[in-house]
Amino acid sequence: MKKLPLLIAVALVTLVVGCKKSYLEEDTKALLYGTDVLTTQTGLEAALTGAYKGLGQQWSWGFLHPSANAAVLGGDDVTTHPGSNKADWREFDQFNVPATNQRSGAVYNGCYKAIQGANNVINNYSITVGTKATINIIAGEAYFIRAFSYYWITRFYGNIPLVTAGEYSDTLLTVKKSTPAEVYALIVSDLKQAEILLPNAKRDWGRPGKGAAKAFLSDVYLTMAGWPLKQLDKYDLAAAKAKEVIDNKALYGFDLLPTFAAVFENDPAVNGTAESVFQINGFAAGSGTANATYGNTTMPGEEGGWDDMFAEINFFNAFPEGPRKTATFRTEFGRPGTAKITWQNSLTKHPYYQKWYIKGEILTSSISLPSVMMRYPHVLTIYAEAKARGTAGPDQAAYDALNLVRLRGRAAGTKALTLADGLSATQFADQVVQERAWEFACERTRWFDLVRLERVEEANANKHPDDLKPIGPITKSDYWFPLPYSDVSLNPNLK
Amino acid sequence: MKRKLLIYYLCFFCFAVTTMPVFSQPGEKQLNPVSGIVTDLNGQPLEAVSVKLKGTSVGTVTDAAGKYTLNTTQRSGVLVFTSVGHDLKEVPLTASGAVDIQLTENQQILKDVVVVGYGTQRKTDVTGAVSTISTKEFDEQPVARISEVLQGRAAGVQVTQAGGAPGGDAKIRIRGANSVLGNNDPLYVVDGYVGADFNTLNPNDIESIQVLKDAASTSIYGSRGANGVVIITTKKGTRNFRVNYESQFSQSQVIKKLDVMNAADFAEIVNARAKGTGTTPPFSAAQIDNFRKNGGTNWQDLIYRNGIGQQHQLTLSGGSEKTTFLISGNFLDQKGIIKNTDFKRYILRSNLTSQVNKNLSIRLNIAGTRLKNHNTGLYGNGNTPVVQAISWAPTTPAYGPDGLPTFVDVTGSVSRNPLDLLNDRLADQVQSTFNTIGGVNYKLPIEGLSIDLQYAVNYLNGLNSTLQGQRVSNNNPSATRSTFEQLTLQNTNALNYNRTFKGVHNISAVAVLETQQFTDNNFSATANSIRFPSQLGYNNIGPNGASVVGADFQKWSLFSLLGRANYSYKDKYLLTAAVRRDGSSKFEGGNRYSVFPSVAVGWRLSEEQFIQDLNIFSNLKLRGSWGKTGSQAIGPYATISRYNTSPVVAFNNAGVVSGIYQGNPGNPNLKWETTTQNDIGLEMGFFGGRLRVEADVFTKSTTDLLLNVALPSYAGGGSQTRNVGKIENKGIELSIGANIIQNDRVTWVSNFNISNVENKVVSLGDLPRLGTGTGVGGGMSTTNEFMLIPGEPLGSYWGLKYLGTFKPKDAAEAALQGRFPGDPHYQDVNGDNAITTDDFQIMGRAFPKTTGGWNNTVTYKALTVNVFFQGVFGVDKLNYTRAAALSGSGDARQPTLNEIKDYYRVGNETSDIPAFSRTYQPYTQSSRFLEDGSYIRLKNVSLAYNIPLSKSANKVSLKVFGSATNLWTITKYKGIDPEASNVGANTDTAIGIDYGAYPNAKTFTLGVNLAF
Repeated sequence: MKKLPLLIAVALVTLVVGCKKSYLEEDTKALLYGTDVLTTQTGLEAALTGAYKGLGQQWSWGFLHPSANAAVLGGDDVTTHPGSNKADWREFDQFNVPATNQRSGAVYNGCYKAIQGANNVINNYSITVGTKATINIIAGEAYFIRAFSYYWITRFYGNIPLVTAGEYSDTLLTVKKSTPAEVYALIVSDLKQAEILLPNAKRDWGRPGKGAAKAFLSDVYLTMAGWPLKQLDKYDLAAAKAKEVIDNKALYGFDLLPTFAAVFENDPAVNGTAESVFQINGFAAGSGTANATYGNTTMPGEEGGWDDMFAEINFFNAFPEGPRKTATFRTEFGRPGTAKITWQNSLTKHPYYQKWYIKGEILTSSISLPSVMMRYPHVLTIYAEAKARGTAGPDQAAYDALNLVRLRGRAAGTKALTLADGLSATQFADQVVQERAWEFACERTRWFDLVRLERVEEANANKHPDDLKPIGPITKSDYWFPLPYSDVSLNPNLK
Repeated sequence: MKRKLLIYYLCFFCFAVTTMPVFSQPGEKQLNPVSGIVTDLNGQPLEAVSVKLKGTSVGTVTDAAGKYTLNTTQRSGVLVFTSVGHDLKEVPLTASGAVDIQLTENQQILKDVVVVGYGTQRKTDVTGAVSTISTKEFDEQPVARISEVLQGRAAGVQVTQAGGAPGGDAKIRIRGANSVLGNNDPLYVVDGYVGADFNTLNPNDIESIQVLKDAASTSIYGSRGANGVVIITTKKGTRNFRVNYESQFSQSQVIKKLDVMNAADFAEIVNARAKGTGTTPPFSAAQIDNFRKNGGTNWQDLIYRNGIGQQHQLTLSGGSEKTTFLISGNFLDQKGIIKNTDFKRYILRSNLTSQVNKNLSIRLNIAGTRLKNHNTGLYGNGNTPVVQAISWAPTTPAYGPDGLPTFVDVTGSVSRNPLDLLNDRLADQVQSTFNTIGGVNYKLPIEGLSIDLQYAVNYLNGLNSTLQGQRVSNNNPSATRSTFEQLTLQNTNALNYNRTFKGVHNISAVAVLETQQFTDNNFSATANSIRFPSQLGYNNIGPNGASVVGADFQKWSLFSLLGRANYSYKDKYLLTAAVRRDGSSKFEGGNRYSVFPSVAVGWRLSEEQFIQDLNIFSNLKLRGSWGKTGSQAIGPYATISRYNTSPVVAFNNAGVVSGIYQGNPGNPNLKWETTTQNDIGLEMGFFGGRLRVEADVFTKSTTDLLLNVALPSYAGGGSQTRNVGKIENKGIELSIGANIIQNDRVTWVSNFNISNVENKVVSLGDLPRLGTGTGVGGGMSTTNEFMLIPGEPLGSYWGLKYLGTFKPKDAAEAALQGRFPGDPHYQDVNGDNAITTDDFQIMGRAFPKTTGGWNNTVTYKALTVNVFFQGVFGVDKLNYTRAAALSGSGDARQPTLNEIKDYYRVGNETSDIPAFSRTYQPYTQSSRFLEDGSYIRLKNVSLAYNIPLSKSANKVSLKVFGSATNLWTITKYKGIDPEASNVGANTDTAIGIDYGAYPNAKTFTLGVNLAF
C-alpha cells in the first residue's frame, strides 16, 4: 500500500504524456468527405443520384407533390377551394403571392439542391477514373438536371442567383441576381452538352436520354422567343430542335399513344409510357420517394380528397367534347360502390381532374407513379407553334403535328386542320396554344404559355362567378413570384 | 401578476420587521477587565471567537493564542462565546473575572457541507452562488423525477414540464439561456460522473442536490459549465441495517379540455361558412335536427382517459464500522392521460463504501436503469390525437358501419382519425443505462494532502421501434428499428489539500486531471410498404416493399486540467480561485484548447464586531465572483464538410438507388463559445437562522456565440456552424426561507424564491437578424416563427400584428388590400397596402421573464402538510392548436371551437373573429393566436401522517400520504396547458409553440411508507 502514491504518480504522468495528442484527434471513420469521393465512378454516380434527389423528395423538394401545381394556379385551367385550409393555394390563384408562400418554395429549394449536386458532378467528372462512356452519360444527366432546374426556377422567379459552384463558399452569400438572359444562356449551353453526352436510349425510366435533352432545348427556345426575352429568332431554333425529336422518335423511344385515356391509366404497376419525354419517378416504398401528385390532392372532399385543385368552370365549359374531355375531368363524385352526385351539386360546385386518379381509384397520397415533366405531344405542339411563329410559317409537318394531338383528343369525326383552311400563321399558332391548353390541362403547362405570350391578364379577365377572382389588378409584376423570403433575408443583394 | 409577487415580498418583510427583537442597554463602568483563553476540546487555541457580555454592547474576539480581554469589570452577567463551526456557549461570570473555556465543534454546521465541483465546502465558506435542495424539501411529495425536484425550489432555476406525457421532456434552465445553437441544459454531475442523464436517476436515492449558478462555481467545469451545473450526490449506507419500503398509486386526468361545438352547432357553422365562401352548405336542416337530438362525436372524450400509475421503492441500507452499503430498487409505471401512452422505469442501485484503513477508502456505485416510453414520442407536430380530436368534425361518426374507425372525415380534417392515430401507430423507446463509478481515496504522508482516483463507465443502449400502420399511413405502412450503443469513459485524478494554519488561515486546494471520451455506434433499418403491418408490427420487418438501412459512428473526447484554491482568514474573509483548461476533439488546431478562469471573494460580515453589535443578523455574508465558462455546443465533426449519405431516388417503380449529396459545410475555424459571468450575492440570516434571505444579481455575457447560420437554398441550403455574435443575460434572484412557526407541536417552514432574467441578443456579427424555426407548423407557419434581432430577447416571436377585423368604417382601407369588412386586419407596417413578410415584426417573447416557487411544509404532531406553488410570468405562447381549430388551417378544414360562433357578420361587427369570406387570408403566424402564457400553478398539495406505533416498535415508522399535483392553475392561456410545448428541451430559440403538445396531467396519489 505504501507504493500506491508512487504508482498513481506514474500513471498520471503516463496519461498526460502518452495519450494527450492522439486522444483529441477526431475519428472520422464513418464520414464521407474530401475530394477523393468523386474520383471513383461509384462516387460520381452516387453524387448524380443525390442531385436527382432535389427533384423529388415528397413534401419538401421538387415535383413529387403538388407544389409546382399550386404555383401555376394563375393559369385559367385550375383553381382551388375558396375556404378550407387552402390559403397558400389561393395566393397563386388570386395573384396575391407573398414571399413566404410555402408551396413554390419546395420547387425553389429542391431545384437548387439538384443544381448543387449537378454542379458538383459537372465540375469534377473530368478527374473521375472509370469507364469513359459511362462517365460521359453521368455528366450528360448532370447537365440536363442543371438546365431543367434553372428552367423551372427562372420561369417562376425571373431574376435569380446563378450558381455553378458545387461547393459552398462564403462568396455565395453575397451573390447578385442574374437576368433571365444570363440564366437562359447557361440552360441552352447545358442542354447542348447533354445532347452530346447522353445516349439515345435513356438508362432508366426516371432519367433523360438524348431525346429529352433535345425536347427540352426546343421548349426552352420557344420560351426564350416569348416574354421576357422575346428573342424571336429562337422560334426557328425551337422548331428545328423539335423536328429532330419528331423525326427520331423511335430512336429516342417516344411515341404518341393511340388513345388519350391510355396516357392516364395511372397504373402503379407500369413504369411509364412512350409519351414520357422526361419523368421523375415515384416509388411508394422508398423513403420520401412516393408521389403525392396523384390521389388525394385532386379529389373532392366527398371522396376523401383534399380539394387542393380542380377545374375552372369556364375552362371546363369551353373544353371541346371528346375522349380527351372524358378522360380529363371527373364530373360525378362518389367512392366506388356508392351513390354519385354531380359536380354541380357537390360541396365546391366544380368539376375535378380525373387525370390524377390512381387506377382503381385508390385513395392515397403516396403512390408509385411518375411525375411526367414533358409528354411527347408537347414536342409536337412546340414544333407546330414555333414553326408557325418562325420565319417560314406553318408547313404541312406543323399541321400534321397539331392534328395528331387534336384528332386524338376530340370527338370522332372532327376534321383535321389543313393548310387549305386559310389560317394565318398567327391564327394557326394560337390554335396550337389553345390545343395545348386542352391537351395539357392541369399538367403545369398552361401558366407558362400565358406568361410567355403575355396573356395572363386576358385569361383571368372573365371568371365564372363561382371561381376565385384576382385580388387587385394583374400586372407584369405578377408574372414572377417574389424570391422566397428565406433566401432574400439571408442575402440583401437579392432584394 | 406583479402585484401578487409584491404581496408575497411584503408578507415576508412585515413578518421580519414585526418580530424583530428590540435591544437597548444601559452601560456600566468597572475597573478590572474580564479575560481568558478559548480552546477547542483538544486544547488548541481558537482564534476569532466572538466573546460578548450578554445583554450589553461589550464584546471582543480572541487573538491567535485564543486570548481575549473584555472592556468590562462587571462580575455579574453571562458571557456568550460564538465561533463558526462551534456550538454557542454561555458561561456565567465569576468573581475572578477570568473565564477559560473549551468550545465543542458544531456537528450541524460541520454537516452543513456543500458539494462543489471536485470537492466539498462548508456552507459558510462558499463564495459562489449555490442553491441547495435537500431531500427534506421534497420527501413529502410524490416526485418521480429530478426535474420535478428542481421545479420551483431553487432561485434562478426554471423548470418547464414541456412534455406532459409520462416520462416526457422537462426543460431546465439555470439563469436564462446563453446559447442559440447549443443545448442550454445544465450539466449534471452525479457522484462525480460528468454529463449524467437525470432521467436515469431515482429521486429516492438522492442525498442532496446543489445547483451551481455563478461562474466561480461552474468554471471548474470549464467548457461545459456555461449553463450551470447540477451536482447530485446519492445516498450512502448507514451502519444500522434499515429497510424502507414505499408504495404509491396515482390517477391522472387531463387538466381541461378545449371547448368544442356540439355537432348541431358545428353543422350550422359549416353551412354558414359555405354560404360565405360560395360553396354548397353540406348539412340539411333534417341532419342538423338529428344532430340536435342525438348529438355527435366528442373526439376529445375518445382520446383522453384516467391514467393509472404506480411506483414501488425498496431501500436496504446497512454495514459495519468500516463498510456500508445501500441497495435500492425502484419501479415506476405511469399510464398517460392520452390513451395508449405510457412510461415504465426500472432502477437498481448499489452504493458501497469502505474505509480500508486509516488512510485508504474505496467506493463503488453501480446503477442500472431501464426506461420504456410507449407512444409518448408522437406529440411533436399537428398530426397528433390532441390536434386531430379538435380538427375532426363532431358530425363525423367515430366508427364506420364496418366497426372500424371512420377512415376519412369528409367535413373536418384531411388527416387521420384520432382513434387511428392512437391505435394504428407505435413509437416504442427503450433505453438501458448502466453506470458504474469506482473510486479510491488515499491520504498521503503529507498532512492535509490526499489523492483521489475515480473511474466512471456509462453505458447506454437504446432501441427505438416505430410503426405506421395500414390505416394511419393512408395505405402505405412502414416500420423502423434503430439501436444505438453509447459508451462514455471518464477518468478523474485529483490531488486534494486541506489544512488550517495557526488556527486562522484555512487553505484547501484541488488539482485534477480528467479525461472523458464518448463513442456512439448506431444502426437503423426502415422498411416501407411492409406486408404484414397488423400481424408483425415492427417486430419482423423483413417482408417489405423496400428498405433503407443506416449505420453511423461518432466519437469525441475531452482532455482537461483543472485546479482550485480556497483561502479563508478567520472564517471571515474568503477567497476562491479556479481555473480549467479544456481540450476538445471537436475543434481544430489552435482552437482546440481553451482556459476558463474564475475568482470569487466573500466577506462574512456577521463575523465582524460592528455587525454583531447591530444584533440583527445571525448570518450576513457578501460575496462576489467573476469567471468564464465555455460551451462546445456542437456535435463532433462540425469542422468538416461531408456528404449526406441518406438520399434514395427512384428511377422506376420497382425500387430505389442510394446516392449522396453535400451536407452542411464544415467550418474549420470553429472555436469555443465563452460566457463571462459576474455575480454579487448577499446572504442574510435573522433570528438565529429562522429567517434566511439570499439575493443575487448577475450578468452573463456570451461571446463567440455558436450559431447554425442558415444558408440560402441557392447555395445548397442547410446551415453552417459559426462563431457569431453575443448574447447577454441579466438577472436577479431572491430566495427567502422562514421557519414561521417553530414549537414543540407545530412547525411551518416556508421557502419562497423568485428570479427575473432579462435576455438580450447583443449582436449577430454581420447578420442583421436570423430566423429560427421549429418545422412544427406545417400549414400553420409561413416562415420561421422566431427571429433573433440584436436588442431583442432570444425566442422572440416573429409574425404579423393582428388588429382585429376590418370594421365597416375601414372599408376603404380594406379595399386597398383587396379585402372587405370582416376580413382580418393585419398591421401594414410599411404602408404598401399589401400584407407581406415586410410587415412581420416581433410579436412577443417565448422565454419567461420571471419564475418563482413557494413551498410550505407544516407539521402538527405526526401530520405533515405540504403546499407548493409554482409560477411563470412574462411569457407568451403561440397557440397553434387553437389556431387550427378556429381558422381552418393546417389539416383542419373547419373551425370547431365554440368561440367561432361569435364570428363577424352583419349585426355582429364588433367581433374580431373574421367573417366567412373568399378574401379571408388566415395568417396563423400572427398575434391573433399569441397568448399570455403566464401562470401560477398549485403544483402540489400533500398530506402525510406518521402512524403512531407502540413504544416497543420505536424503530419502526409507518407513514401514509396522499397528494394532488397540478390541482389548480391560474392563467389567461386558452390552450389546455400553459406549461406544455411542442419543442423538446434542447432548444431555446424555438420554444413556446403549442401545436398538439401533450398536456400535463392533474394527478392524485396515495401512498404508504414503512421503515424499520
